[in-house]
Amino acid sequence: MATDVMIQANSLSKRFGDVRALESVSFEVQQGEVVGFLGPNGAGKSTTMRILTCFLAPTSGSATVKGFDVFDDPLQVRRSIGYLPQRAPLYTDMTVWDYLRFASEVRGLDPSTFKSRMKKVVDVCGLAQSLGKDIGTLSHGYRQRVGLGQALIHDPQILILDEPTSDLDPNEKAEVLRYIAEIGRDRTILLSTHNLAEVEAVCARAIIVSKGRVVADGGLDDIRGKSGGVRYVVEIDEKNAQPGKKAPSAREAQDALAALPGARSVKELPTDEKLHRFEIVGTKDGDLRADLFRLAVERGWLLLGLRRDAQSLDAVFRDLTRKDERLDRGRSDEPDADDDEDDEDDDDRSSDDDEDDEDDDDDRSSDDDDERKEKQ
Amino acid sequence: MSPMLTIAKRELRSYFDSAIAYVVISLSLLALGALFFMFRGGFWQVDRATMQAMFDYLPVGLLPLVVPVVTMRLLAEEKRSGTLEMLITLPVKDSDVILGKYFGALALVLLIVSSTLAYPLAMFKIWKLGVLDWGPVFAGYLGLVLLSAAAVALGLLVSAIAESQMIALFVTILLLVGLYFVGDMATLMTGSASAVIEAVSFRARSQDFGRGLVSTRDVVFFLSVTALALAVAFRALERRKWA
Ligand SMILES: Nc1ncnc2c1ncn2[C@@H]1O[C@H](COP(=O)(O)OP(=O)(O)OP(=O)(O)O)[C@@H](O)[C@H]1O
Ligand SMILES: [Mg+2]
Repeated sequence: MATDVMIQANSLSKRFGDVRALESVSFEVQQGEVVGFLGPNGAGKSTTMRILTCFLAPTSGSATVKGFDVFDDPLQVRRSIGYLPQRAPLYTDMTVWDYLRFASEVRGLDPSTFKSRMKKVVDVCGLAQSLGKDIGTLSHGYRQRVGLGQALIHDPQILILDEPTSDLDPNEKAEVLRYIAEIGRDRTILLSTHNLAEVEAVCARAIIVSKGRVVADGGLDDIRGKSGGVRYVVEIDEKNAQPGKKAPSAREAQDALAALPGARSVKELPTDEKLHRFEIVGTKDGDLRADLFRLAVERGWLLLGLRRDAQSLDAVFRDLTRKDERLDRGRSDEPDADDDEDDEDDDDRSSDDDEDDEDDDDDRSSDDDDERKEKQ
Repeated sequence: MSPMLTIAKRELRSYFDSAIAYVVISLSLLALGALFFMFRGGFWQVDRATMQAMFDYLPVGLLPLVVPVVTMRLLAEEKRSGTLEMLITLPVKDSDVILGKYFGALALVLLIVSSTLAYPLAMFKIWKLGVLDWGPVFAGYLGLVLLSAAAVALGLLVSAIAESQMIALFVTILLLVGLYFVGDMATLMTGSASAVIEAVSFRARSQDFGRGLVSTRDVVFFLSVTALALAVAFRALERRKWA
């Protein structure tokens, strides 16, 4: 059965002067799919979306939306989509109501359709109290709600949302995600975000871009499988041990864990004074839990916690975009040696940015990462 | 309503929402009134009942002050604040955006121009200060409409190119003042240079209207400037795609 391709990008490239924002980006989105569009800052997400909405023209390549070429048929393309640009730039001198009416008038909605759609939009976006306010006086989150309302006002078949939830409070975020999931059953939605939990909540599929290239595209499970690791979190009592034994120092524990066969990387996670917490990445098919337990018994450590997860989407994301990220931070592109000095170094830096937390296991799995890059 | 009219309506409304309209209208009327009754003895010095003085002085207020203030933000501000992306990704043609903005701004300028009708009406219809020949008045207003049409188009063009509304303001003032007073330089030159300058001078082109003389060449001149400026503004807007 042929499914309907609603969004199609064919080797889109875009240059801004010397900056190569996109290099040969291709993907398809079918009807009824909700696709997460992920990537680090500057990866080219917004640029791609601007090309799909005919705001920018690609330097080369082509794209179609609902079968209409973005270059030849921009009006048809824009009629079939609702688009929320990043940071929702709105006319600050208009009231919320006037703005939404303006958008609906430009879209040619008649007043009665507008009124009935407004009910839904006000409900989903939580705008009932703000309709008469000037947009300039609204908080950022509310502006984003208005922007989202503008994208939904004509009940579009296709939604392109650039970081739609970035400024929303948790309640509204949940409401918006719930609505996206609900309408996503028969609509087509491409949404970019930096929040991977959100992707896991509403998307069945994700496209990850980094430095203008697609580095992964597929179902979430496929993508998780890509990184080929399993993650364990182990907690060991820091003060007490079995009678006659001594509680380990962080260094001792880490060395012992790293020595386990099948442990690819070990990293200390931050905790309070009472316990050590380590994250271990092991190979995909092995199971380290029994070994971990045995190790604890043998040394007389008190094992307070042991958890095994498939690699999180988060970790995969970092894994896939690690190389470009390192360049951004001015570190060398060479994988670092596995030593502890380096760990501490990274942890110091990570105070302002928790994304650094898992930097190290990323380093260690860099070999398969490089292989993947070459395949692209 | 077509997208173009919706955009024009929004534009015009936002002048009133942001008080630009009120400020510009009242200042122009005040300035014109002062000019009328005081400057060089004003209207009363002229022995015939005529509005010619008004048509000589109105453009001096219109071009360097009113038009630049009205047009500066049209596109420059939308580009800076990013609202252009929101506007353009609605189902509108680039030409709808240009024309909608143009007619919105022109409507305000024409509102100001037509509000000056209060003076001849008050003087000759209400106070009956004399018998006015209305022919030249209508011709004069036709001249003002054409002049405004061309000036607003040029202001929009500058706003489409400029990085910010302040730059747009200053460039538009320079451009319009230049085009208006360039005719004064013609007297300093001879031959073809003088002829060219005379030909593009907004002042030389618009003065005759106030004396009741409507020439097709002047009408065509202003309309062509308008069309050309709008076409270039359209290109400038399209150029964003290739940035
Ligand atoms: N108008 C522009 N002129 C020059 N360079 C640009 C322009 N727009 C984007 N770029 C560059 O293109 C690259 C991709 O930018 P883009 O905004 O698409 O990133 P993004 O993935 O949306 O990032 P973020 O997560 O920060 O929103 C960046 O390197 C950016 O500097
Ligand atoms: Mg972006």
